[in-house]
Amino acid sequence: MLRLGEVVTVFDGGMGSELEKLGFCGCPEDLNITHPEVIKKIHLSYSSADCIMTNTFGLNKIKYKGGYGIKELALKAVENARVAGKKVIFDIGPTGAMIEPLGTLTFDEAYEAFAEIVEYTKDIVDGYIAETFSDLYEMKACILAIKEHSDKPVFATMTFDTTGRTLTGSTPEIVANTLEGLGVDALGVNCSAGPKELEGVVERFLKCSGVPVMVQPNRGLPVLKDGRTEYILDIEEFDFYIDKFIRNGVAVVGGCCGTTPEFIKKISRFSGQKVKPRNVERATVVNSATKAVNISGVKICGERLNPTGKKKLKEALISENYDFLVDEAVAQQEAGADVLDLNVGLPQLDEKSVIVKAVRKVQEFVDLPLQIDSSESEAIAQGVRYYNGVPLINSVNGETEVMDAIFPIAKKYGAVVLGLTMDSRGVPKTAKERFAIAKRIVERAESYGIPRHKVMIDTLVLTASAEQKLVKETVEALRLVQSLGVKTALGVSNVSFGLPNRGLLNKTFLTMAMTCGLNMPIMNPLDGEMTGAVKAFGVLSGTDENAESYIDIYKDYTGTVSALKTVKEEKTLDAKSLYDCIKKGIKSQAAELCLRELETADPMTVVNDVLIKALEEVGKLYDGGKLFLPQLVSSAEAAKCAFAVVCERLPKGAAKKAVIVLATVKGDVHDIGKNIVKVVLQSYGYEVIDLGKDVPPQTVADACLKHKPFAVGLSALMTTTVKGMEETVSAIKNAGCSCAVFVGGAVLNSEIAKKIGADYYTKDALECVKTLDKLLLK
Amino acid sequence: MNSSKLNEQIYAYLGFHSVERSEEVDAEISKCLDELKELAHFRYTYKFFSALPDFLLCEPYTEYLRGSSGVIVAVMTLGCEVDARIKFYGRTDAAKSLVLDAAASAYLEYLSDEYEKTLGENLSYRFCPGYGGSSVEDLKHIFEILSPEKIGVTLSETNYMLPSKSMAGIIAVGGKAKKSCKNCIVYEHCNLRKGGAKCYGSEKL
Repeated sequence: MLRLGEVVTVFDGGMGSELEKLGFCGCPEDLNITHPEVIKKIHLSYSSADCIMTNTFGLNKIKYKGGYGIKELALKAVENARVAGKKVIFDIGPTGAMIEPLGTLTFDEAYEAFAEIVEYTKDIVDGYIAETFSDLYEMKACILAIKEHSDKPVFATMTFDTTGRTLTGSTPEIVANTLEGLGVDALGVNCSAGPKELEGVVERFLKCSGVPVMVQPNRGLPVLKDGRTEYILDIEEFDFYIDKFIRNGVAVVGGCCGTTPEFIKKISRFSGQKVKPRNVERATVVNSATKAVNISGVKICGERLNPTGKKKLKEALISENYDFLVDEAVAQQEAGADVLDLNVGLPQLDEKSVIVKAVRKVQEFVDLPLQIDSSESEAIAQGVRYYNGVPLINSVNGETEVMDAIFPIAKKYGAVVLGLTMDSRGVPKTAKERFAIAKRIVERAESYGIPRHKVMIDTLVLTASAEQKLVKETVEALRLVQSLGVKTALGVSNVSFGLPNRGLLNKTFLTMAMTCGLNMPIMNPLDGEMTGAVKAFGVLSGTDENAESYIDIYKDYTGTVSALKTVKEEKTLDAKSLYDCIKKGIKSQAAELCLRELETADPMTVVNDVLIKALEEVGKLYDGGKLFLPQLVSSAEAAKCAFAVVCERLPKGAAKKAVIVLATVKGDVHDIGKNIVKVVLQSYGYEVIDLGKDVPPQTVADACLKHKPFAVGLSALMTTTVKGMEETVSAIKNAGCSCAVFVGGAVLNSEIAKKIGADYYTKDALECVKTLDKLLLK
Repeated sequence: MNSSKLNEQIYAYLGFHSVERSEEVDAEISKCLDELKELAHFRYTYKFFSALPDFLLCEPYTEYLRGSSGVIVAVMTLGCEVDARIKFYGRTDAAKSLVLDAAASAYLEYLSDEYEKTLGENLSYRFCPGYGGSSVEDLKHIFEILSPEKIGVTLSETNYMLPSKSMAGIIAVGGKAKKSCKNCIVYEHCNLRKGGAKCYGSEKL
């Protein structure tokens, strides 16, 4: 048995560099079968280590391009590694493809590729190491694949650059919080650079990781010598740093690129030494892939991603229009939210599949940690699984069945759980009774192996109009539950239901609650008074040191209170009229000026005489080379905002001209051109169904059948994807859709368009609108 | 940083060449460049070859490499944070997203040019698969040689690189290659050329 965390464990060193030395290049995995004696010899030369890693770094069905079967190679690789007579740890490297949303590989595809190799080897290895990963999301897929198919120890190491982040922007703290939550046995850093350069990252891991820390550095930084990259760090210096790491508390050491059997032999002297105990500060931390939020002081949880009582969001979710959800998320982030609650519970929807889509969409645009909010445990499980980071779960309560359904999910994924102080009998009246439930929740969580810093308690707000006397019980309960060592949350705005001037009550209650230890109000961050109260509390309670963040926000304050964002960024350009506003492209004033216009004119007049006229003028200037593309786009965005206001005044759909489906075709991810066309079309009153980028032909055809658009617009930037465009055109026509097919993009012209069967080629967004307008008149 | 040259390049990418520059766009560009300086994680990986790798033994590479004593094969990127920000602005401010996209392209070119000055004397300009009638499929060979996944750059089946602000190419050591529009795929209908400019620099035709 490995005594991880008790005594120092030594892993082996570089495989690739050893092979290169022997003159082997090409696919290293194939050598397990073609040259087993070479691989065995290298493994044997590392037998001073406690653990030997198999020669399988690139062996998964996405990356491996060689001619052998994956299973055959995996088995042979384990057999080869056995020769050293040490523990055999199966080596898993990344797929080499970029996972969504940055790339196009799906989380499930990555998971399946990793699961396949674990399935083949689970009974014949002593553990798994996922190493050299640079994307936390792909790492999560890999860890889940290992843990759901095997119960062997899991080591996980990622690469970091000199700024202390992985290539996709995760810090050591984020990596540790996420991987420890997923239940790995050791975590840390490998490859990246030499031991000296990794000191900072290692130190940060040692401070925050609750599981043993592992380091496998390269043999220093490579130098270019006679046109070849060489590693030149000497053994003594490598050993010096490894010694230092171990003295600071590192538990697992080894080598990566450039290290040789001599290096490992030298550091094997540490094997079996007692691991130095560390003081790890435990905090309640949730994180996305790039942002960690420590729930201390007061952090704002935005409540607006919830369809309850929000007609527009409800409609948008039912019609699978996630743009609206994303816009709400972005607005809350800009207004100063720290965490976003996400709830998609509607009776019409299959919540467990919608939550996955919603999580993906929101995390694509917003880097705030999410709070997955549902009353269905299955939906929670799905949302938490596909979340890239450590989320909050909203919620459990004092009922045993609820806790028994949710705690296993929280434990498996390392999520923080919010517990409500109520049970089957409802919300108890007194603070003491609520405290008793909180205690029950915390203790039950502990029995599932969920520590207190992973639990938060909501002492529940009742409305002051109905239960005036109980308001102070909620606040008192906040004070009591802190003695349990947990952080607290409250849905503050419930307090004012049924009373006039709700904002005043909400703000006052928020202040009371913060004074009594509220850590996370769940509230509307767009309410500048409320957000402002949180910022002010930061100054007065001393958490905002030197009032830095407060001053940063309010330094230009002139006396108008609105969302924080507008305090921060007041546009200096002023438009006199809606026409002027569109022409100048001032989005922030379009809605207000449009409302003013609507006071004296009917909606269709505003559309025809103001919006369209202004856009026409802008279009003329653009065509004449007097305006630049960003200015055209600004005008279109302003017009789009105004258009949305006008639509509110019209019967549903009355102002919409026609439905247009847009997509960047399969094989291409360049969507900036398509996005320009989208904004311009919307500004002219077209309803756009945007399928996104890298869209398979059949998906476009299906969307055409479903939405029956007037036209479909396809975009491609690269010469290599014209073929994808041709296939998409055929798929649309084969599906029997009669809509006009428009194509555009840098590599197209009318000739190519004709050749691939498209109906129209337009050179830019403006020409596209003009052509569509003409067609509509026919 | 030579910001006037960089700005010119950004204007070219935005399609402004025959038009007068606007103060607003100037201000937006300068904001975007400030943002890029914080956001971008410039990474560069390369290998030097004195004997040419096989995929370079055909036109137009041989012409580009004529008279050279070796070649550097390189991949460079601004990192994925830039992509994410461009996408974010696509939701909040489409015009800004457009300017940031163009600014990022120019910034990557600029940083790469600067970095290459440290790689040695007598280096030619970067020649990338897709130039002068070469095939973008050749990116595959560059990826095999360099494994630029290490700096976070991946290649799709259809030969696009991610993060999108990445480049891959070769640099002749010695040799006398000169940039030219002659073999460009959009030679016939290039708006830049019609306006008397080039995509690769400010030199007049």
